[in-house]
Amino acid sequence: MINRYVYPFSAVVGQEKLKKALLINVVNPLVGGVLISGEKGTAKSTLVRGLGNLIQDMEVVELPLNVTEDRLVGAIDIEKAVVEGKKTINNSILMEANGNILYVDEVNLLSESIINALLEVSQSGISHVEREGISFTHESSFVLVGTMNPEEGGLRPQLLDRFGLYVDVSGSEDLNERVIIIKRRIEYEEDPHLFINKWKDEDEEIWNKIKTARELIPSVKVSEEIMKLASEISLKANCSGHRAEIVMVEAAKAIAVLNGRKNITIEDIKEASELALPHRMRDLPPNVSETEEDQDENNEEDTQEEEDSNEDLENEETIDEPPMEEEHEEEIPDEEDDMEDDENQEDTFDLPSSDEETIDEIGDIFKVRDLDIKPLDRKKRKGSGRRSIVKTGELQGRYARHTISKGKPRDIAFDATLRAAAPYQRLRDKNGLALAIKEYDLREKIREKRTGCTILFVVDASGSMGAEKRMEAVKGAIMSLLTDAYEKRDSVGMVAFRKEDAELILGITRSVDLAHKKLEALPTGGKTPLSLGMYRGYEVLKAAIKKDPDIIPVMVLVSDGRGNVSFQGDDPHKEALEMAEKISLEGIQTIVIDTEQDYIKLHLAEEIAKRMDASYYKLEDLKADEIFTLVKDNINFQNISKIG
Amino acid sequence: MKNKKRLYPFTAIVGQENMKKALILNIINPNLGGVLIRGEKGTAKSTAVRAFEELLPEREEVEGCIFSCDPCDVSTMCDECLEKNEKGEDFSRKKGKMKVIDLPVSATEDRVVGTLDIEYAIKKGEKKFEPGILAMANRNILYVDEVNLLDDHIVDVLLDSAAMGVNTIEREGISYTHPANFILVGTMNPEEGDLRPQLLDRFGMVVDVVGEMDIENRVEVIKRRLEYEEDSEQFALKWESKQKELREKMINAMKILKDVKCDDDMYRTAAKISIELGVDGHRADISMIKTAKTVAAFEGKLNVENDHMLEAASLVLPHRMRRRPFEEGVMEFSKVEELIRGIEND
Repeated sequence: MINRYVYPFSAVVGQEKLKKALLINVVNPLVGGVLISGEKGTAKSTLVRGLGNLIQDMEVVELPLNVTEDRLVGAIDIEKAVVEGKKTINNSILMEANGNILYVDEVNLLSESIINALLEVSQSGISHVEREGISFTHESSFVLVGTMNPEEGGLRPQLLDRFGLYVDVSGSEDLNERVIIIKRRIEYEEDPHLFINKWKDEDEEIWNKIKTARELIPSVKVSEEIMKLASEISLKANCSGHRAEIVMVEAAKAIAVLNGRKNITIEDIKEASELALPHRMRDLPPNVSETEEDQDENNEEDTQEEEDSNEDLENEETIDEPPMEEEHEEEIPDEEDDMEDDENQEDTFDLPSSDEETIDEIGDIFKVRDLDIKPLDRKKRKGSGRRSIVKTGELQGRYARHTISKGKPRDIAFDATLRAAAPYQRLRDKNGLALAIKEYDLREKIREKRTGCTILFVVDASGSMGAEKRMEAVKGAIMSLLTDAYEKRDSVGMVAFRKEDAELILGITRSVDLAHKKLEALPTGGKTPLSLGMYRGYEVLKAAIKKDPDIIPVMVLVSDGRGNVSFQGDDPHKEALEMAEKISLEGIQTIVIDTEQDYIKLHLAEEIAKRMDASYYKLEDLKADEIFTLVKDNINFQNISKIG
Repeated sequence: MKNKKRLYPFTAIVGQENMKKALILNIINPNLGGVLIRGEKGTAKSTAVRAFEELLPEREEVEGCIFSCDPCDVSTMCDECLEKNEKGEDFSRKKGKMKVIDLPVSATEDRVVGTLDIEYAIKKGEKKFEPGILAMANRNILYVDEVNLLDDHIVDVLLDSAAMGVNTIEREGISYTHPANFILVGTMNPEEGDLRPQLLDRFGMVVDVVGEMDIENRVEVIKRRLEYEEDSEQFALKWESKQKELREKMINAMKILKDVKCDDDMYRTAAKISIELGVDGHRADISMIKTAKTVAAFEGKLNVENDHMLEAASLVLPHRMRRRPFEEGVMEFSKVEELIRGIEND
């Protein structure tokens, strides 16, 4: 390792919660790691690296984002294979991580295959290597520490659950604290050596505290009461599986010993719950059954604890406020209320009422269901997370795995090829080279590319949309889709049509920020030049395809389908249908989001969708079926910590 | 080499003071975090970066080291140099110049981070690391034209290295770590799409360049360009004294930088501005102070003054204010100014 200076752990101002979470993990690795979520520049990485430096018997093993599978799980040792003709396994990251801290910066950006490999090991603590003719098993238990910036997209629930604790970090709001932060950082940069020396004693003190705590931990007794409380809390928080309470108890143990105690107090459990629950709480109604997946995964490990917690269910402790109920009220989106109201409205046939303009706010933003956007002309490969589109033969994207090459290889994975050839070198005629490679050694790279679609929103901003906060809901829905698109690395654009015109209000871009602004400022009012809007959208996408033929064009039409202005003088509806057909012939994938809300449904948008061969959704149907509260610890957390 | 065209002199670029200043400050203090230059086509973005190469200072480096390690700084050395140092072996040193290393948008990941040396492996049957662009960028400027068009996975790699100053490779059978301390300079045309917020935040400064609006200046741009095209040698000669002047000013600033003092009030102001504007994290405050110190050094002053702070704020803040709805990203600079000037009245 390069002998670099590391900013001392003890010199970090604030972030007490994160510091505690890290300490808990090194005192008691059974807690299962920590996921750190937060905005940029909040000492996330600094603290992890500082901790690794401070602890003398553990190292921070880094997992870079562009890691390839062979380095993560291990692969054949080329040198040994060539010289001795023996198959031995290389030292892999998972081996190095054993007994250490495995640190993944930006864990939400890891490629799918790496996440899967990681999940498998982090659960069992054992790594089975079965590859390249090697069969090998080794221990690999580590403290998994990940950081993520939620702007870049969330984590899969399975992976999320794998992190014992969760901490949300943000910058300090306190002026004096901020001043100290700047000062220390600048002092450090000006003379790191001096600065580190200055904080040496404080770091040492923390290390001593950790050592003492570790010695104490085997003698901590967990009382029946504490177990009850833990399972009660996790039940109230509607956590899936039983990992929550187990983690809570393990964390409470560490908290107790860090305070020099052998007994766990209610305060300890409370503190532990604040760290163990946020990423496990779900805001589903309590009657929804737990996800099967989670159940299965947990069954093996927690049979014992399960008994404990099950017994506890009947035992009502004194709990002031059940946390879920209040939360519930908040979580019901206003939008639905609006819709019901709207249906009761005597809103008759909805011709544009006036030319009056309004600018609606952006309504509720929610997690969007999987719209199953896939290229029409290409195969969609595995990968449930992002719209990972794997294009073989395309020399772009991240190389994470390899495969045996079939036919003429185009993208040779040299490392894998060499490994495949290495064991047979003693038998081969080498022409003076150290390695002779045969055709059947050849391996090809499998690349993953996340950049997906180019999504153009064609939005109806006519007067009919302005009625009864409809536009607010629509804006919320579009914003939700935009957020989803950003996470999946799609490009987005927006065309709005109203009055006599359709305007490209946002060119194809990857800036959700910009889209947000444009959307916010989008006025509603006037007539509905639907066909013109569709035409403009078609033009924009065509231009985009011309620029880069590799893109996957998607048009999302958000409208009630009630066009009443034509641009070629035909019947507006007929014109829209013709436009629809044209678009479908162009190989542009289309999605129609129907915003029709009147009593008398005309199903015009549906008709257009059919003609366009589009996927059709009603506005109300866009929400993801399962809403996991991933990273919102603001949801009535006070209530939970009030327990006890 | 006589007939080789000389580079357009940096000092001969008309206007674009912000951009020029940002580049200069980053050389004086390589810890400022680089600069992102935003602007339309034809605003001398690339020309400026290329021209800047000529002004880059000399420094000592270890002879034969691909990472151009600093023989005097153990903390940033690559493993090989460190080993030599520990064994007490003497480095052969040489004078080198800081360079501009290009990262083309089309670069593949293995070229950026480095990869397995295939030739070596086949000939010798051993693994060897073949350094990539990040290795060359160590202690140099890493220049990414059209940075917003970089592939996502390349951006991830860049983020990692930019944050740590270290490039960690765990791929293709190779496990290797080497220093990758570079000044990140990017240019982009905002019309072509935005930068990921993560990457944006990594840039210490952002400058927006626009074409000159002043007719006289525009004429001057054409004049100089024509003159340069006609006889680049002559043109360069004409500007040599200006170039020299700037070079000396930069060297002087580097010398006095560590002695520049900053009042507690300035720290408070920086923190106050960040709170008021609702920036993410603490990077803005820290950058502001560091930049202000460097501005002071460039002006040959030993104390940070309000004007320095103001200039620093105008460079480090524009891209960091995204929480509050500042329409179209236009910064309310008057607010910042008010806060900075405000200290005088306190």
